[in-house]
Amino acid sequence: MTTLTEAPPPLAPAAPGRRPPRRRGRLVPYWLLLPGILWLLLFFALPMVYQASTSVQTGSLEQGYKVTWHFAAYGDALSAYWPQFLRSVVYAAVATLLCLLLGYPLAYLIAFRAGRWRNLVMIMVIAPFFTTFLIRTLAWKTILADDGPVVHTLTSLHVLDLTDWLGWTAGDRVLATPLAVVCGLTYNFLPFMILPLYTSLERIDGRLHEAAGDLYAKPFTTFRKVTFPLSMPGVVSGTLLTFIPAAGDYVNAELLGSTDTRMVGNVIQAQFLRVLDYPTAAALSFILMAAILLMVTFYIRKSGTEDLV
Amino acid sequence: MTTDNSGDVRLCGISKTYGSFTAVHPLDLTVPQGSFFALLGASGCGKTTTLRMIAGLEEPTTGTVLLGDQEVTHLPPYKRPVNTVFQSYALFPHLDVFENVAFGLRRRGIKSVRKQVEEMLELVQLGEQARKKPHQLSGGQQQRVAVARALINHPKVLLLDEPLGALDLKLRRQMQLELKRIQTEVGITFVHVTHDQEEAMTMADTVAVMNAGRVEQLGSPTDLYENPRTTFVANFLGTSNLIEAEIDSAAGGDIVLKAGGGKLVLPRARCSAPATTGGKVLVGVRPEKISLTHADEAGGIPEGRNRITGRIVDSSFIGVSTQYVVDSPVCPRFEVYAQNIDRDPRLVPGAEVVLHWNPAHTFGLDAAQDIDAGVGTAEEEGA
Repeated sequence: MTTLTEAPPPLAPAAPGRRPPRRRGRLVPYWLLLPGILWLLLFFALPMVYQASTSVQTGSLEQGYKVTWHFAAYGDALSAYWPQFLRSVVYAAVATLLCLLLGYPLAYLIAFRAGRWRNLVMIMVIAPFFTTFLIRTLAWKTILADDGPVVHTLTSLHVLDLTDWLGWTAGDRVLATPLAVVCGLTYNFLPFMILPLYTSLERIDGRLHEAAGDLYAKPFTTFRKVTFPLSMPGVVSGTLLTFIPAAGDYVNAELLGSTDTRMVGNVIQAQFLRVLDYPTAAALSFILMAAILLMVTFYIRKSGTEDLV
Repeated sequence: MTTDNSGDVRLCGISKTYGSFTAVHPLDLTVPQGSFFALLGASGCGKTTTLRMIAGLEEPTTGTVLLGDQEVTHLPPYKRPVNTVFQSYALFPHLDVFENVAFGLRRRGIKSVRKQVEEMLELVQLGEQARKKPHQLSGGQQQRVAVARALINHPKVLLLDEPLGALDLKLRRQMQLELKRIQTEVGITFVHVTHDQEEAMTMADTVAVMNAGRVEQLGSPTDLYENPRTTFVANFLGTSNLIEAEIDSAAGGDIVLKAGGGKLVLPRARCSAPATTGGKVLVGVRPEKISLTHADEAGGIPEGRNRITGRIVDSSFIGVSTQYVVDSPVCPRFEVYAQNIDRDPRLVPGAEVVLHWNPAHTFGLDAAQDIDAGVGTAEEEGA
């Protein structure tokens, strides 16, 4: 990818007195870019245009749809489904936070402490990818089953009383509650957090830790002032890689949740495939996209890592 | 400062082993307060490990480390009153120059750092660069940031781990003088690790030459150069011509030796090997101490000088001096550096010559050593 995006030679005319570079040579970078550009045009730009036009159509399945510039579809979709939007953002945010809290220590361990176990632990992180997303999520259904050991343990420890009170679980059940959906999201997207974190932690020069120690920083201060700031690129890309797909996810809410935990992804899926209300589905997709884009831009600005991502 | 010994570094029997490999053999070393001390040796000789044990970055396998009267052997680095200038600097890339320098002060809870940092940046002539990030600076500037970052904490001892290794030759010479100036100015103990013998000799008051985890010899640069006690030191510091000789008589203040049919005189005081008649010693002499005379004029050489005959096999003119390689019966590659004052046009490869020098410039070493120890190590490293 980098070879494709690396700067093509400047198009400005060559300095006077120097022979202009040969034409064919100058075009090579663009030829190299061509397959990628075609791919994006065909499978990204074109469908986007198609969806955009769908979102402003009216009509019905029987009489066919026509572009009527019916922008009200956006407002209608938003006012009808804002709870699902909000839920998506909250679930994705909580799952991202949990991924960061679980993933950071693990990535740190792999990068600095695992020694000869490093590769083994890395394989363990990636291993879940060998089975499909669906099977893994269904497995969580078994794990969190009402008469399963997890629920039993949590009940006997009175943890469920607390989560019931918080509204994360209901009636001594974990399945079909927000907790289950968030757990599923966290589990499924954890590797996307760990891998970029590991990459940026592993790049940190070990001598910087020694230098910090030499300059009177205790181990935790070294972490706070040196390691963590230097791992920010990994934190940012990890949270983005987790938050973005999690916000649009519908499998976890579908399999582990209930009607009360539906996320916007479930709504879009239902509108497209069950209700067959294509304009609403397309409008919802665009609203989701715009919302995520807005949040991501704000986040990158805030974290001050534009040049690091 | 004469009574203050809080800046002394004392190593008592410290050693470091990694599995079956011994990086540093039990070592005793005292670096007095306020001195500029250099640990010199080729890579892998244990000099950096020794430094890291003083810094607390490495725990000694045996022995103790004392700073002044305080034992610090098991203290973590952040509790030791020493600071390090790391090889390739290890500046914090996410902090600007100012914050890099302020790092140590802030960690010790000092709130108003501005004045101190600015003064320190002036000392290393980086006042203008305070708000730049390390990667925007040149190698020499980064090096000075690293020194400032360490010095601002007023450590009892400053440790320098090959601080000039990444700089080009000219800048290195300049920084050597700079560091020496700073050391004189602040008056704290500097312990400097280097593989560059010239660097060690120009900067340090005392040099410890290390080889294979041991200190071979310790002394002032002139002492080490003039009176090497091992072949390693003789070859590693500059160049030495070493000749195997047999002791003919050892009466009085001078030892008379037989070598290749000729006789050489060696002051007893300059012989580090036991002098018994019939025993063997290695006789050494530095190339610049030797005079070169064409064989036709050998009669004009004053009496009482050590002489050796030979034939020039190679000569190279390097401006201030000419370096000759002479093939002689006692040593096939005898090196001679002659000042270009009056050049004798007959001194070209193939010419028969007499080498002669003042016996006082001769030194004697134990013949039981490898005559080539330390040859080439310095050059390989310096490349």
